[in-house]
Amino acid sequence: MVYVKWVVRVVFWTLVLAFLHYTLPQHDIVRITDTYEKRINPGENALFWSNANTGENVAATERDVFFIQTFRTNDRPMIYRNEDTGWGWPPYFKFDTSNLQAEASDLISKKSAETAQWVAVRHYGWRNEFLSIYPNAVAIWPVAGPDARIIPWFNIVVLILLAALFWAIRVRWKRFWEGRREGQDSEWREGQR
Amino acid sequence: MVALGRLLIFGLIVLSLIYLGLSWHFRAQRRKRMERDWEETGRPGNREAYIAEGMAQYEHSLRRKLLWLVYILPVSAITLLIWLTNFN
Repeated sequence: MVYVKWVVRVVFWTLVLAFLHYTLPQHDIVRITDTYEKRINPGENALFWSNANTGENVAATERDVFFIQTFRTNDRPMIYRNEDTGWGWPPYFKFDTSNLQAEASDLISKKSAETAQWVAVRHYGWRNEFLSIYPNAVAIWPVAGPDARIIPWFNIVVLILLAALFWAIRVRWKRFWEGRREGQDSEWREGQR
Repeated sequence: MVALGRLLIFGLIVLSLIYLGLSWHFRAQRRKRMERDWEETGRPGNREAYIAEGMAQYEHSLRRKLLWLVYILPVSAITLLIWLTNFN
């Protein structure tokens, strides 16, 4: 029984952490090398793609998606998709996909460039080659260099609030069950008299 | 538009549940305090009338009206987010 309890706990917390890691915004410092548009047919990986852009037909099974090709500061490639999240989940309320694509292609900087233009990309999601999934870029802005550091204030605030909420529920939960246990005890004692 | 409708409907349901829950909780808390108040001030007059008067005062208080923040805060947060993501 103890093992079952621990397995359930570990699975639960892994899922919670994975969910947060996927959904909360993260920042990468990258060099954009190209932007392109590709037709995709989401299948088993459909969970990791957005729906149609806001206002477009949601029943279409295949559509064109913007991509942004980049190299990170460690010289390894990272590809972002660029899709609307619209009014759906995750709640980024991103509608300006085409504008973002224009900004991205304006900041292209190849390896051969004399002075590389580094940019910060705010994104959510994961890159996984086996599932063919890509993080979704939400915002792009130029930074001074590859050492630029971005403090994730938003994540700090969200995580603190979540921890506070969890703690508040946990304390009340424990108090509730302890109250019940004490109640049972006293009834039992009364029976003994 | 379907997605917007879904967000509005589910948002309204969830926020209304929070609003109703909190309003019940605060009213119950207030009533308990009025009951204690009545005993501590030396049991003046009718107990029910005393509590009813206190509750009527509460219904018109700023504290009670602040509960509307349950609706106002998330809507403002979403508006701010839309502006920050798309137009900033």
